[in-house]
Amino acid sequence: MADRIILTIGTKKGVFVAEAAKARRSFSLHGPFGLGIPVYSTLIDTRGTPRLYASSCNPFFGMKVLRSTDMGKSFKETKSAPAFPKDDGRALANIWSLEAGGGKKELWCGVEPASLFRSRDGGDSWDLVPGISNHEHARKWHPGNGGLCMHTIIRDGNRMHLGISTGGHYLSEDGGETFRASNQGVGAGFAPDPYPEFGQCVHKIAWHDDAPGRLYMQNHGGWSDWTGPGGPRPDIGVLRSDDYGHSWRSIAKGLPSDFGFPIVVHPHDADTVYVMPLDPMTRSCPGGAPAVWRSENGGNSWSRLAHGLPKKQSYFTVQRDAMDIDRLKTPALYFGTTTGHLWIGKEGGEQWNCLFDSLPPIHNIKVAVV
Amino acid sequence: MGLAPTITIHVPGPLRAYCAGAAQISISAHTVRAALEDLERSQAAFYRNVCDETGTVRRHLNVFVNSDNVRDLDDGIDTTLMPGDVVTILPAVSGG
Repeated sequence: MADRIILTIGTKKGVFVAEAAKARRSFSLHGPFGLGIPVYSTLIDTRGTPRLYASSCNPFFGMKVLRSTDMGKSFKETKSAPAFPKDDGRALANIWSLEAGGGKKELWCGVEPASLFRSRDGGDSWDLVPGISNHEHARKWHPGNGGLCMHTIIRDGNRMHLGISTGGHYLSEDGGETFRASNQGVGAGFAPDPYPEFGQCVHKIAWHDDAPGRLYMQNHGGWSDWTGPGGPRPDIGVLRSDDYGHSWRSIAKGLPSDFGFPIVVHPHDADTVYVMPLDPMTRSCPGGAPAVWRSENGGNSWSRLAHGLPKKQSYFTVQRDAMDIDRLKTPALYFGTTTGHLWIGKEGGEQWNCLFDSLPPIHNIKVAVV
Repeated sequence: MGLAPTITIHVPGPLRAYCAGAAQISISAHTVRAALEDLERSQAAFYRNVCDETGTVRRHLNVFVNSDNVRDLDDGIDTTLMPGDVVTILPAVSGG
């Protein structure tokens, strides 16, 4: 019976697991696991007996995948982590995304330098997915400030969407065998061509499984005042697709900034989408006043959700994977900050409360009802 | 080239779990590179923590031959080993 809320919290110093009853009145906290090692991706795998996964990105000793089979009471390394073939010439620098695949044990993993790996045994062995990892564009992608990372993996039957920073959005319609850049309408602010075929700094892509043709993208915005070659590029930061990611259009009008990192879709309404607009220079909320912004009409208009959040002097960043929403009837949003605060926004973000205020800097939040 | 000298690899604490708890490993190798290649064959899990997929020593690790960091030695990773040498693998100092 699904009656517990589980949060995995990937931080600069390991992974934590928080747990609460469905009422979400009080969360207990376990961890950190993978002591002292940054965790950029986590996965709550609810296929069969729930398992938790975390990437443990050790700058000294390399990448590991951690797995918990006891709901976060303990984690152990899987038998191996993704690794490039010895003759490839690339070396794994980070693990940015872990997603469940088909069956009960398939996993997908996006890494830095941007490449995709697949496991068929719950993370004990991994194979490079050549269709994207060896794509003709792969050696032409360039890292952004966060590194050349594959951070988004969305599976929809034989369709697969990948988000790469900076590479753009890539789409497969044959189960991940082949991919093509699919960035029509996705702008770039840091290249002379405002709408290149690929190379955009996509920050995150989200979708709703009841409306798979609809996707939302938080792209690297903040280029409305650009005066260089190609001219200004206003509103390229928040986008929507209605044709399975073949083309995109801006939905940024009405937001205080089109720059941001996470983008999250309501679990029961594909028209409701949440972003956290950030000032592109400080990468904190405009005016030092944090707020999540919600659209309930697919991005045609936006409203500010800040009740309970600090009203001033808050200059944290919310990173690309540090916001999620649970799937209860009236869902709650969760976001974690670079200052180690974990916030819950009950009633779909109407009322915010701080769950934990002294965690390490937070990279990743995932939530599930188990 | 004669018989390879026997040297000692000192294993840092965080990596002992990858070589059955051993604090030291004795191997025979003419150079640091050969010692690492031996580790790749004999202690694969430990080796993966020390070198990346390309065979390069991980960026934030230092390998010392006795008290010398091989990055500072003329022959680097190809530094010749002598009988009784101690090769120590240590994380670079860092903070934050």
